[in-house]
Amino acid sequence: MDVHRELVIEASPDAVWAVVGAPERQAEWFPGMVSSEVEGTTRTIVTAAGGFLLEELLIVDHDRRVLEYRITGPFHLDHHLGRITVAPAGEDPPDGASLVTYEQELEPKALVAVLDAAIGDALVGLGDLVVNGRPGAQEGEPRF
Amino acid sequence: MATRILFVTTDQQRYDALGCNGGRIARTPVIDRLAAEGIRYERAHPQNVVCMPSRATMLTGQHVRNHGVWMNGVPLPADAPTVAGLLHDAGWRTGLFGKAHFEPFLDPFLRFPENRMGRTGATDDDGRPHRGFDRMEFAGHGSVGLVHYAGWLLAEHPEQVPSFYRALDLSLDVNAAGGGDTGAPQVHDNPVPRDQYHTDWVADRTTAWLDGLDDADDWFCWMSFPDPHHPWDPPASEVGRVPWRDLDLPEGYPTDRAERERLLDAKAPHWRRWYDGDLVSNYEAPAKWVPATLTADQVREVDARTHVENELIDEALGRVLAAIAAKGWDDDLHVVFTTDHGEFQGDHGLLFKGPYHVDSLMRLPLVWRPAPSAGVAPAVVDGPVGLVDLAPTFCGIAGLEVPGWMDGAPLPASSADWSARGRPAVLTEWDSVHPSGAEVHLQTVTLDGMVCTRYEPGTSHDGSEGELWDLGDDPLQRGNLWDDPVRRSVRDELVAELDALLPDRPAEPLRVQAPV
Repeated sequence: MDVHRELVIEASPDAVWAVVGAPERQAEWFPGMVSSEVEGTTRTIVTAAGGFLLEELLIVDHDRRVLEYRITGPFHLDHHLGRITVAPAGEDPPDGASLVTYEQELEPKALVAVLDAAIGDALVGLGDLVVNGRPGAQEGEPRF
Repeated sequence: MATRILFVTTDQQRYDALGCNGGRIARTPVIDRLAAEGIRYERAHPQNVVCMPSRATMLTGQHVRNHGVWMNGVPLPADAPTVAGLLHDAGWRTGLFGKAHFEPFLDPFLRFPENRMGRTGATDDDGRPHRGFDRMEFAGHGSVGLVHYAGWLLAEHPEQVPSFYRALDLSLDVNAAGGGDTGAPQVHDNPVPRDQYHTDWVADRTTAWLDGLDDADDWFCWMSFPDPHHPWDPPASEVGRVPWRDLDLPEGYPTDRAERERLLDAKAPHWRRWYDGDLVSNYEAPAKWVPATLTADQVREVDARTHVENELIDEALGRVLAAIAAKGWDDDLHVVFTTDHGEFQGDHGLLFKGPYHVDSLMRLPLVWRPAPSAGVAPAVVDGPVGLVDLAPTFCGIAGLEVPGWMDGAPLPASSADWSARGRPAVLTEWDSVHPSGAEVHLQTVTLDGMVCTRYEPGTSHDGSEGELWDLGDDPLQRGNLWDDPVRRSVRDELVAELDALLPDRPAEPLRVQAPV
């Protein structure tokens, strides 16, 4: 994987997956996403910079708590795969903490650093939403 | 009596771009006059040869390892101290107009304040100065992006937005598409009217800000032209100024292919690997372009377009200086003119830039025209100085003590002044890690007419490589003396000098957050 980020969130896997497993809710916790609309297997992300991303939802597996998607436009990637998994962390499932893993592989790799940094922010935003009930900052707080 | 500083930068401009430095193509009478009246530096070097690290050095007065911006895509930390902040806190008015690039450009999720300002048109960061500047209005290298110029063009002249070259391709790599008469990469015929091109816009926004200042204001204005950085797409109406077919090839371009490749082979191995298309070490040059395909006519056409852009910059600067003179402010005006790094522009058979510490990328134009009221005698300084010295120079002009966090020293006002400082050497660093896995690390010291580069282990180097250039005997840097036993003691002395200058690497390097 070109991007691998993970975060332990102090909430049960079911609680985290209730957010992650609803792909239309991604803009609620991903800073810099204005909206995330789903129609069939197509998700359209509008970004705070005024652009958009088209994505194809590949897997939304509620049993394994795995979501996979690929970016299909507007720019051209020879290959892309995004994957989010939610798993129990620690000894006390199902009520204990969750390990959220967010990965990306892509070719060419111009966006690797952009996605890596943004996903780092996004996992923090996900924790804020699940634990504190508030969405992540929509325009992203500078964490640099 | 007010003190005024106009800090003028270009982007990716060579030493020989200017008439005062011996350039014979672009007419640059405005800068030439500043040089004649002031201090011209024969050997000014950047501390890194790409934009973000070099600009961070200019703003902070720090070496790369101390400000932490070790390659493009690494944002200058939000709490980094800056010379603009010092001046602002001392009561100066501060503004920046044009290209900043202290934070990454490629930012779809709008994570950085500069991009939020450019997107919304705000000229400060939610009512606060940003990096010490009261007002900032940004421009980049084209008609799109998260900069004020793009917003202005879209609002006022939307029909011109498609006129410009697309700096990135559909894969978000630096575009390799060619144009013009020769198909040279990043050359493009741009129908935009001259007065709507970003060079004139930067001068217009600078003048507008100056118009709002009072006679008694001390001010620091960074006017930052995005040109002559690629793409080479000046307004088509101006291209005829320099007919490319009339140009001689640059002296640094070896015309014979076999000779060109022999010279590349005498350098560290990444030179030839890039030339052959076997290595992409950094994002700044088009990954899909192979330097070995560069033709002599393409070199001429890039050269011509670059010099058209150089002339437009000179004329824009002239307009701003005339506006300042009309206010009666010239006698107390310091003007500093330089750039962030150079450009191959055909030297060694290459274009663009990268981990190559030779004069094409390192020898920069630098002119300081002190305020006439200061009574400083015109001079030429031969010894090496660095862009790291700019921020301390601004402190000196303002009468502020140079803070301990700055690494540089105020620029010498003459060669005698330089000599009296004990032969200060100049450091230039490069570190890069490309997503493909390519790593390049090198450090260079310049002193006593010699340039000495040491490589650290990476994906193209085992750490034994180096380059030693005698600028007096070999100004085109074709004979690498690194392994010459006769020069071994010189090499050892320079490496020791390098070690003495080089700060420690930060324990935790800052994270790369974008390719550029």
